[in-house]
Amino acid sequence: MSDYKDIIIDHYKNPRNFGEMDRADISMDESNASCGDMIQIQVKTETRTDGVRLPHPDGIGVRNDEGGDLVIKEMKWRGVGCAISTAAASMLSEKIVGMNREDLEKFGEAGIVEMLGGEVNVGRMKCATLAYRGLLKIFNNE
Amino acid sequence: MFDVDKVRADFPILKRKIHGHDLVYLDSGATSQKPESVIKAMDDYYRNTNANIHRGVYELSVESTRLVDEARKKVADFIGARTEEVIFTRNASESLNLVMYSWGRDNIKKEDAVLISKLEHHSNLVPWQELCRETGAELRIIDVDGEGKLVMRTQELKNSRTQDEVLTENGLKVRLGGFEGLIADGKVKLFAVTGASNVLGTIPDLAGMLTAIKRKAQNATVVVDASQMVPHMKVDVKTLGADFIAFSGHKMLGPTGTGVLWGKKEVLSKMRPFLFGGDMIGEVIITGATWADLPSRFEAGTPDIAGIIGLGAAVDYLEGLGMDNVRHHEKDLMVYALKKMVELQDEELVTVYGPKDVEERGGALAFNVIGVHPHDAAQILDNFGIAVRSGQHCAAPLVTGFGVPAMVRATFYVYNTKKEIDYLVDKIREIPKIFT
Repeated sequence: MSDYKDIIIDHYKNPRNFGEMDRADISMDESNASCGDMIQIQVKTETRTDGVRLPHPDGIGVRNDEGGDLVIKEMKWRGVGCAISTAAASMLSEKIVGMNREDLEKFGEAGIVEMLGGEVNVGRMKCATLAYRGLLKIFNNE
Repeated sequence: MFDVDKVRADFPILKRKIHGHDLVYLDSGATSQKPESVIKAMDDYYRNTNANIHRGVYELSVESTRLVDEARKKVADFIGARTEEVIFTRNASESLNLVMYSWGRDNIKKEDAVLISKLEHHSNLVPWQELCRETGAELRIIDVDGEGKLVMRTQELKNSRTQDEVLTENGLKVRLGGFEGLIADGKVKLFAVTGASNVLGTIPDLAGMLTAIKRKAQNATVVVDASQMVPHMKVDVKTLGADFIAFSGHKMLGPTGTGVLWGKKEVLSKMRPFLFGGDMIGEVIITGATWADLPSRFEAGTPDIAGIIGLGAAVDYLEGLGMDNVRHHEKDLMVYALKKMVELQDEELVTVYGPKDVEERGGALAFNVIGVHPHDAAQILDNFGIAVRSGQHCAAPLVTGFGVPAMVRATFYVYNTKKEIDYLVDKIREIPKIFT
């Protein structure tokens, strides 16, 4: 049962940050067409001015007026999915707090695999990355 | 007599271990495994005969051409057709697209209706959606009941709908209802229907529906998606009542990359080519070309020669088993599997979908393990060496119509055994334990 580590089962059975938030800054839906899974992600963002990092080359995800960094403050999510996609969304919702666009892009599929315990069946990568793909869209549409 | 152990010995892949277990392959509905004779026929071709067909006067080319002609004859005899009516394609999807592009675009007009069913695989649904969007024709869809059987009268629907449901979206008008109501006004010009559902196994009453449709709309053209039919039961196009049938070679023990479109000669001869290029032309001048005769007109470019030869060998193999024996074996497995799965259902471990009467279903068994997502169920089964499919099985509207995002599907074929079904049932019992 290499893909069903205790940590996955734990997040699947007790998903963190599951639900809806009152005033989200950004909402986004993502789905896996072939398997019917879908997820709705809401985030609150904040501009961080301490420890200012370099602006993203595209200028997106960064509010330059204060020279600050737009980072994710909080994430809530809802959806229908399998154990892998649910656990990945739950874990990500904790992991991404404080990340800006660049951090999120850098995290990548490798970060997802590592987060899930270092091993994901190739056929399940779409499940594992469902929430992550949704999050990337959040910054792309900013 | 049908000896499944002897059959199994012909399939080299069945000796494989998966995660340390014997392979239990229950996904023949997606693609079947290949017997030694099919692999060998293709291997022999590449080792001893390889040359392009219809080109050279040299011995190898002549032999290649003969092998392809023989394969076409085998396929034609297998389905009771004339050889020139058998067109080789890449797969059933391409066969259906050929009908859509070539026949559909010339014959379907704004005032017509195209009738399909909710059981259709995307390959017999999306081409007709696109054709209707292009032409303005109405797409009519025969709904299914709670068992996944086609509804004859709208009133029979479980939600007691008395009227057809009409949707107009994305420039497409869709009418969903019972068969009889949908054909009543005689506007149906094309009826494209599956011979057996790839998800629920449902075998619709083709004969009854085709008789009815010919009464209401004499000129209606009929396409049968026979992808889940030709590999599993005797099909004779002379008595089927269709104008076209489409099926895939790789689902009937043949290699991937092979599919067939059969069409009535009278219909095919009036159709324009679908793909243009080499081998499909008569005469070419700088300003145009004439078309070759059937079947070459619809086979542009170098075909999958080795694949076609392999498909011929697959037909030989199935003929050797006897299609009545094949159907009998699968029915036997389905009776056994359904009984076992209903027991699991009574224990509230699984939900089973599809018709309860085995006479009305082919070798597809869709189910869900209660409280477990189908992908998780399928992956846990894979850890035990069992290959089943999970997802929407290229039939999203059908699957979601049952109120679930996806289903697990086991499909049976000539090499499957009751012992494998016991093993499957045994391992299904293990699945919920992982999550408690």
